[in-house]
Amino acid sequence: MSENRFAHLMLAPAGVWLLLLFAVPLGIVLAVSLGTTDPVYQAVYGWHPGNFADVFDPRFAPILLRSLLYAVATVVLCLVIGYPIAYYIARFGGRWKTLLVAVVVLPFLVNYLIRTYAWVAILSDEGLVNGLLEDLGLSETGIRFLNTPWAVIGGLVYGYLAFMILPLYAALDRMDPALIEAGKDLYGNRWQTFRHVTWPAAFQGVAAGCVLVFLPALGDFISAQLLGGPDTYMIGNLIQQEFLEAQNWPFGAALTIVMMGFLLIWMLAYLRSAARADREGAL
Amino acid sequence: MTATGEAIRFEGVTKKFGSLTAVEDLSISINRGEFFSLLGPSGCGKTTTLRMVAGFEQPTEGRIYLDGEPVEHVPPYERNVNTVFQSYALFEHLDVEGNVAFGLKRRKVPEDEIRRRVAEALELVQLTGREKQKPSQLSGGQKQRVALARALVNRPSVLLLDEPLGALDLKLRKQMQVELKSIQREVGITFIYVTHDQEEALSMSDRIAVMNEGRVIQCGPPEDIYERPTGEFVAGFIGISNLLSATVTAPGRVRVANGLEFPVSLPNGCKAGDTVNVAIRPEKIAIDEEVTDDMVSVDGRVEARVYLGVMTQITVDLGHGARLVALEQAWHRARADDRWEPGMRVRLGWEAKNCLVLR
Amino acid sequence: MSATLAGHSRTRSLHVPFSLRRRRPRDFDRPRFLRVFFWAFLVFTFAPLVVVALFSFNSTRSLQQFAGFSLQWYEAFFGNANLRASLLASAEIGLVTMIVGTFLGTTLAFGLVRARSRVARAGNVLMLIPLVTPEIVAGVSALLLFTQIKMELSLATIMIAEITFSISFVTVIVRARLASLHHEVEDAAMDLGATRLETLRLVVLPRLWPAIVASAMLVFALSFDDFVIAFFTTGESPTPLPVQIYSSIRFGVQPTINAIGTFMLVVSFLIVALAIALPRIFGHREEESVLIGREAA
Repeated sequence: MSENRFAHLMLAPAGVWLLLLFAVPLGIVLAVSLGTTDPVYQAVYGWHPGNFADVFDPRFAPILLRSLLYAVATVVLCLVIGYPIAYYIARFGGRWKTLLVAVVVLPFLVNYLIRTYAWVAILSDEGLVNGLLEDLGLSETGIRFLNTPWAVIGGLVYGYLAFMILPLYAALDRMDPALIEAGKDLYGNRWQTFRHVTWPAAFQGVAAGCVLVFLPALGDFISAQLLGGPDTYMIGNLIQQEFLEAQNWPFGAALTIVMMGFLLIWMLAYLRSAARADREGAL
Repeated sequence: MTATGEAIRFEGVTKKFGSLTAVEDLSISINRGEFFSLLGPSGCGKTTTLRMVAGFEQPTEGRIYLDGEPVEHVPPYERNVNTVFQSYALFEHLDVEGNVAFGLKRRKVPEDEIRRRVAEALELVQLTGREKQKPSQLSGGQKQRVALARALVNRPSVLLLDEPLGALDLKLRKQMQVELKSIQREVGITFIYVTHDQEEALSMSDRIAVMNEGRVIQCGPPEDIYERPTGEFVAGFIGISNLLSATVTAPGRVRVANGLEFPVSLPNGCKAGDTVNVAIRPEKIAIDEEVTDDMVSVDGRVEARVYLGVMTQITVDLGHGARLVALEQAWHRARADDRWEPGMRVRLGWEAKNCLVLR
Repeated sequence: MSATLAGHSRTRSLHVPFSLRRRRPRDFDRPRFLRVFFWAFLVFTFAPLVVVALFSFNSTRSLQQFAGFSLQWYEAFFGNANLRASLLASAEIGLVTMIVGTFLGTTLAFGLVRARSRVARAGNVLMLIPLVTPEIVAGVSALLLFTQIKMELSLATIMIAEITFSISFVTVIVRARLASLHHEVEDAAMDLGATRLETLRLVVLPRLWPAIVASAMLVFALSFDDFVIAFFTTGESPTPLPVQIYSSIRFGVQPTINAIGTFMLVVSFLIVALAIALPRIFGHREEESVLIGREAA
């Protein structure tokens, strides 16, 4: 048997699996989003693009915008926190680099739910922090941490920070420290060196990190559910609600499609820029 | 069906990769027990040809016969052919013994026979005692021998070698060339040897096929290839060749650009006014006092000099763009390094019969 | 003091050799800020987990005061039949997903590296999309699939969905390793009489083993820990552990969850340790960078 034929044979099982159990379901989501339900909440196929119009109904605008806001805030915070960490390890890690990266990433290997729960435990009204505040006499009734936008954003950051640090580290580690030295000599000041030497090299890592954080953060519902409340609902919560509580599948499916479509744009933009960077050659 | 003594026959074999033709209309036959070389520059199709014999590629057109049987659709693991790869391709996770025994185990040879034949093969390549070592512990030359033993132990009817000595240093390479040749004689198996090193091909082969751009340009024993190249490419690829552009003046006479006229034996069909190339091997050119009266002689100026230890190579400008490279072996002088300076006048000469005319 | 020194350098600047002149070190020469930031970061990221672990041994319900050491919450955890069933369910899901997902992912990796055709290129794209699909989309699509084909939700449906989204992880890891192996070795094996299947078994798999093991461990950890996909595709009972935890948390903080959480924490760390250690037993050191590379990818 020729190598090509053999290779295609190997492709087949997983290929068929992915086709039937991944691609087809996505198609079903699309089909359901264009359908409607019958009185017993079974999906009925048809052509009802009105579901998509419902998505953009002013009622839901706050939720959509909020999701966008939270996701962007998460990306920004992850960048602000993650960059110094990645930079520190890449530049000053020495032979401990890999170990440091492993240690930094270790907490993020724990189940997202558990991690979120940990913050619930710490920040809740009966939690550790409030207990400390009361004990120290700093507060009488305790501070409400949970059920606030910042708690949700904090949870999101804590959830996806690793996806920012790793690509950043990979990009910064690849950078040649001699270039920074040369930059210092040439530009003589911190900001210029950063702008002309460090940033271009780091950019690929930053772009990757932003995409890898933004994508899941937008669709997240765990943080909003556990650390927030109805006022902090994100699109993920809405989708979850429509599917598992309201049984309004067509609308939920439409929401899902809209979210996927929005994310696809960023994904493609990133892939295009990554391919272009490859062609031009990495520094 | 089989012509006696024919191990491999190619009939009109062509191999295309998409729009690229790697091998075109190859029709040669290789005799049993022969040390046959495929010689040519990179990309000439020699490795593709080898892979077609091994079974890793199928010809786009034409047929290949192994021991008289057509084998286009026989997979590599069913052919009685073994390959020694350029990168050795040893199995890193097996020891030397495991590597060498691999082929025998596939063929379900009984255990004790495996042990015996492996020992024989290792002795043949002088690696007895290294059975339990891993490839990572061996040197390049030793890995080479393991690859050779691993192939030979199966007693294939043809052994294919794909530039096996390319990664070795010069001294080791020369040594291995001698060893390979003697192993081949001892074992009597047909060897097909692919190389771009013409010295290697000349010294080891019974016959050579010179290839360029997918075609066999010339096929024959080393002496034929060297002394009687059929075209400009072969003349230029094998050894240094001096090519003088000349015009035919009369049957059996030519004139070179600087006015020199001399007799040569012309190939059939050459008439007055034709432009031909006259090829003379540098070692056939006499210098100064070596030039005798019956030789064609010409004067020129030394343009460049290359000291090669064993001999000195001088490039002589004959005027009007004609130049010759000559070699002098300093057997008559104690030191040869100060003999030639650029600008010196020198007389060169050659016997008319040592010229070859190429169209 | 520093003013004097500065004054010194100003007046002396023309006379003192460059090397002896004091220069104010720039921030990137002296990483003190970064170092502080780094350790503060570590404290903040580990602290919640430490807290949870600590209070899982608390002898009282309190989350504010550590009263004494006790294993009662672990007893509550392992003593509860429901929770035990969930633990078992998670383990089953992890195991099945690991075996099937690793097999499918490895064969897919091999096919993608060696096959040349438009179909293969399309297959490559198809393989990459699950990696960037948000989990909620994964969950929703799986749910719709099962309901539309009238398949009852159960552990099996969770497994099917988990396998679907774990294949790509295995493929990416194994493919990277496969691409670095010399192709000629496979030719050599076939040249010596091994069929394609034998070549795979005798020559490719031994070299590929560390990557396969590492990705298998990864798949187990991911599917054992997974919440979102399981949430959408789970049946009535038993539900996997993360789903149980979620339901419980909705009712507020409970100390038993501390115990469960700590337990899952330990399991996660163990899996990672195995993922790094097992390949080393086979003597290959590049596997941990493969894992990190996966996350970065």
